[in-house]
Amino acid sequence: MKPHLLLTGTLIAASCLPGCGRQDVGGNAEVVYNCPANAADIDALKNEIPAFTAESHVNIKLNPFTGQDKLYAMMAAGQAPDIFYTNTTMRDRLAAEGRLLDLRTVSKGDPFVERLWPAVITNGTSPDSGWYSLGNWSFTLGVYYNRDLFDAAGLPYPDTAWTWETMRRLARRLTLDADGDGTPERFGIFIGSHFVEAIEQMNGAGIRPNTLLASLPDASAEAFEKYLSLMEEQLMPDIRRVQAMGMQPVQLLQSGRVAMLVEAVPHQMLIETLAIRWGVAPLPRFAGKPPKYFRTSSGGLSISSSTRFPEAAWQSVKWIVGKASIYQPNPVLRDLDFVGGWERRYPRLPGSGFREVWTLSLLHDGGDPRFFVRFSSWTSASILERLQPYLDRLWAREIGVNDVRTALPEINAHAARDLQDLLQREGIKPAFRRVIERELRSLERGAEQ
Amino acid sequence: MNPVARRRNLLPGYLFISPWLIGFLIFTAGPMLASIGISFTSWSMLSAPTWIGLGNYERIFTEDPLFLRSLGNTAYYVIFSVPLTTVLALGLALLLNQRLPGIGVFRTIFFLPSITNLVAMSILWIWIFNPEVGLLNRALAAAGIDGPLWLQSETWSKPALILMSLWGVGGSMIIFLAALQGVPPDLYEAAELDGAGRLRRFFHITLPMISPAMFFSLVMSLIGGFQVFTQAFVMTGTAQPGTEGGPNNATLFMVLYLYKKAFQDFQMGYASALAWILFFFILVFTLAQKRAGQRWVYYEAGDRP
Amino acid sequence: MTENGRFGKVFWAALSRYTVMYLLLGVLCLLFLAPFAWMLSVSGHDLAGVFAEPYRWIPDRYRWENFGLVTSLLPFWRYAANTLFITVLVLIGTLLSCSLVAYGFSRIQFRGRDTLFALCLSTMMLPGQVTMIPLYMLFVSLGWIDTYLPLIVPAFFGSPFYIFLLRQFFMTIPREYDEAAVLDGAGRLRIYWSIILPLARPALAVVALFTFVGTWNDFFGPLIYLNSPETATLTLGLSMLKSQVVGTGATQWHLLMAGAVLIMLPNVVIFFLAQKHFVKGIAVGGLRG
Repeated sequence: MKPHLLLTGTLIAASCLPGCGRQDVGGNAEVVYNCPANAADIDALKNEIPAFTAESHVNIKLNPFTGQDKLYAMMAAGQAPDIFYTNTTMRDRLAAEGRLLDLRTVSKGDPFVERLWPAVITNGTSPDSGWYSLGNWSFTLGVYYNRDLFDAAGLPYPDTAWTWETMRRLARRLTLDADGDGTPERFGIFIGSHFVEAIEQMNGAGIRPNTLLASLPDASAEAFEKYLSLMEEQLMPDIRRVQAMGMQPVQLLQSGRVAMLVEAVPHQMLIETLAIRWGVAPLPRFAGKPPKYFRTSSGGLSISSSTRFPEAAWQSVKWIVGKASIYQPNPVLRDLDFVGGWERRYPRLPGSGFREVWTLSLLHDGGDPRFFVRFSSWTSASILERLQPYLDRLWAREIGVNDVRTALPEINAHAARDLQDLLQREGIKPAFRRVIERELRSLERGAEQ
Repeated sequence: MNPVARRRNLLPGYLFISPWLIGFLIFTAGPMLASIGISFTSWSMLSAPTWIGLGNYERIFTEDPLFLRSLGNTAYYVIFSVPLTTVLALGLALLLNQRLPGIGVFRTIFFLPSITNLVAMSILWIWIFNPEVGLLNRALAAAGIDGPLWLQSETWSKPALILMSLWGVGGSMIIFLAALQGVPPDLYEAAELDGAGRLRRFFHITLPMISPAMFFSLVMSLIGGFQVFTQAFVMTGTAQPGTEGGPNNATLFMVLYLYKKAFQDFQMGYASALAWILFFFILVFTLAQKRAGQRWVYYEAGDRP
Repeated sequence: MTENGRFGKVFWAALSRYTVMYLLLGVLCLLFLAPFAWMLSVSGHDLAGVFAEPYRWIPDRYRWENFGLVTSLLPFWRYAANTLFITVLVLIGTLLSCSLVAYGFSRIQFRGRDTLFALCLSTMMLPGQVTMIPLYMLFVSLGWIDTYLPLIVPAFFGSPFYIFLLRQFFMTIPREYDEAAVLDGAGRLRIYWSIILPLARPALAVVALFTFVGTWNDFFGPLIYLNSPETATLTLGLSMLKSQVVGTGATQWHLLMAGAVLIMLPNVVIFFLAQKHFVKGIAVGGLRG
């Protein structure tokens, strides 16, 4: 019966396919690391891993990975990698369901912990006081500016203590509408809407980790108004236009369409490819407000709680953060000369303002406001889902800041409801359950803000 | 066939269709039942499901503005895309239904886009819709029109997707072309002799004769339209992962919403409930179409409805 | 009216009709081809050229290396091999199972046949998302996630649309062939294999073509069932490329377009080779629908 043979044959062939079980390399423990899918980085890592293996008897298997959504699905399918990146939201969610290894269990007495900035450990701690992620990078924000344009307009370069008002004045002088058609060919500045939390932080809106509800303190509302006024006065291009270009703010600066650009410091691609004469300054302060500079280390490497080799995983994480050359010098370590390392690698950096920006951010570390200025990681997903449309319309100037304010109680009610649903799930660990319940109780008691 | 023969045929009959039957039970019927069950639970896949009865459905219908939004978006897409693509396909088919030399080349060109990879097509059209440097706005600028922000604009993102769907009318066009070529020419001749003008011939001969094909095309388009996913997923997630369906949820279609709830928010129960509601809508619309079809679709004697 | 006069009139009428038609077709042609041309054009630029004002449709130097770059960013050939593997297996499975089932539905009279067939057709209405989650969990419990099995095995169990297509076709094959074979002592399976299948070659070719294209372009299946990058398919790879070249601050559109061109190429090639069958297949499906 030919069809049946064919059938059986192909099914047998099909079952001998990739993905049928993993094997340990002889003698060495093997951990799987979900790394960013960057071809150059992967090659560099692959070259260095053998030396690491020879020394530690741990083999790191690289799994290039794009897209966070798959991580959860992989865990559910029992194929969780041993080491992977988590941001604050994912970390708390996974930790609550017991999927992450508490790093304190494998790092007891390890001198490596002393090398980390304290903020790194605090930022990697979840509400149950467990340490679930080791920050693997950190950056601050700065204003990159085109020195040629400044020179041509006869303007002084920004200094480290410049204010928002100074920035506006400079931006006004640098905005150019040569053909008088109402749309400037060159704008003074561009600040992406995903950096607006930094402006809120500068304006004094406090960071309160582990709040559950979205709020709009006056400092934040003021910051929004100031941000919007940049667009209204045409000092800054329309956000949506820029977004539509496929995330091309760097291109804007490169081509001279904007004179100043807010971006991460350091920003490898920018430093490597920017062909203009550029400098970088810290974010401008608001008059009368103390400086507080954006510094992030809220994402990091986590270890799966179902890993077969926790010690080996910890060794690997330490190596990745502390030794792998592509991540060195790593700003999470305090015993490295971070600025010196970068200045040696990129000769354009000395004199560009990079050192000053970085030092200021260490001196006045404001932390990462992205999840905490308005709401915490717990509820960020359910709040963002409902708040983001309002923010989109706010940046499109279809509604005002007050409209966003009046929508908040409803958004918060949804978030509270989502949390209650979360509590219904049996898999939530008791420590987390207590934290959520306590927060919800204080919510009911009307203790807001 | 006599009853004895029919009974004798029972075993061979079922044996032959057993692949489909078994597959139906394992891959369709079973999961469908399971999915109803899941829709009554709250489940994150990592832990055991928790029974919450009608909780999901209650939430969907009373407290979920995004559900209504996704419903509205899907309805908008279907209401505009299905008639427009059908009309365009018919128009192109009429155009191609002529004996001009080289007509085959044109047919190939119109048909080509419809068999290309949807993901690749979506990526191409993201770039075409780029408000600054994309093909569409450049062309509009050449005509003196200031093009909108397309995929970044709440009002223009759905029209953008509908415009893209027009590019892929090739499939329907071929169906109509074949149907047109199947209309017996003597009908036209008879009508011409009776003095019927072009327009009358079209409405009273062409349309009724191709109505089965039109019906088929409409039903398939409707079902496909309700399930629009890939384009929205690929084209609106450019800013950051997790922002698909924007701007301001203007392109959040039902299947996309379902996917997000299942694979980004890990609310499997909720997503299952959404899937059933979607199925319900498709069922209702298809049955309504079938009923309406009985009235306007013309079949020659011998064909079954 | 003289003969010459009438000839003149007819000639001008035909010429104007031809001109109008070709003009119309030409314009539509341009509209339909423009996106492809644009795609090819952008693929040949570098990042600066993509944004140049004014845009040059033909770059002064066409950057063929973009295609090479894309194949190095993605394991293109690997993904192509993966996709081919899946597609061929699905093809075999679909052809076998759908023809068997269609034979059963068309050639054998048995109780419940029509109800079951109606059931089969109605499953076409079912959105895949209804069964998506339980199927996912089923495959998880079987340990099939991140293998190709969830994509291949269901193909061996028939697909309603192709069953329908083949059944319609089988019904047009005269029963005399069957009866002659029965007289020669052939069993049903024999009839199916040696008589019906060969006669149904055109229809089978159509099913094969559609299955090939459909599987090659499939996005949703690989999206949820495949996790590791080694196992990914071309379509999945393209969307991974998209997330890869979307850098903070600058997306490399020229590379994305080059990737899109590469992915579309196999489709276009197959299409040109098998055009007639495609057209016939859709037509048959639509007419009998």
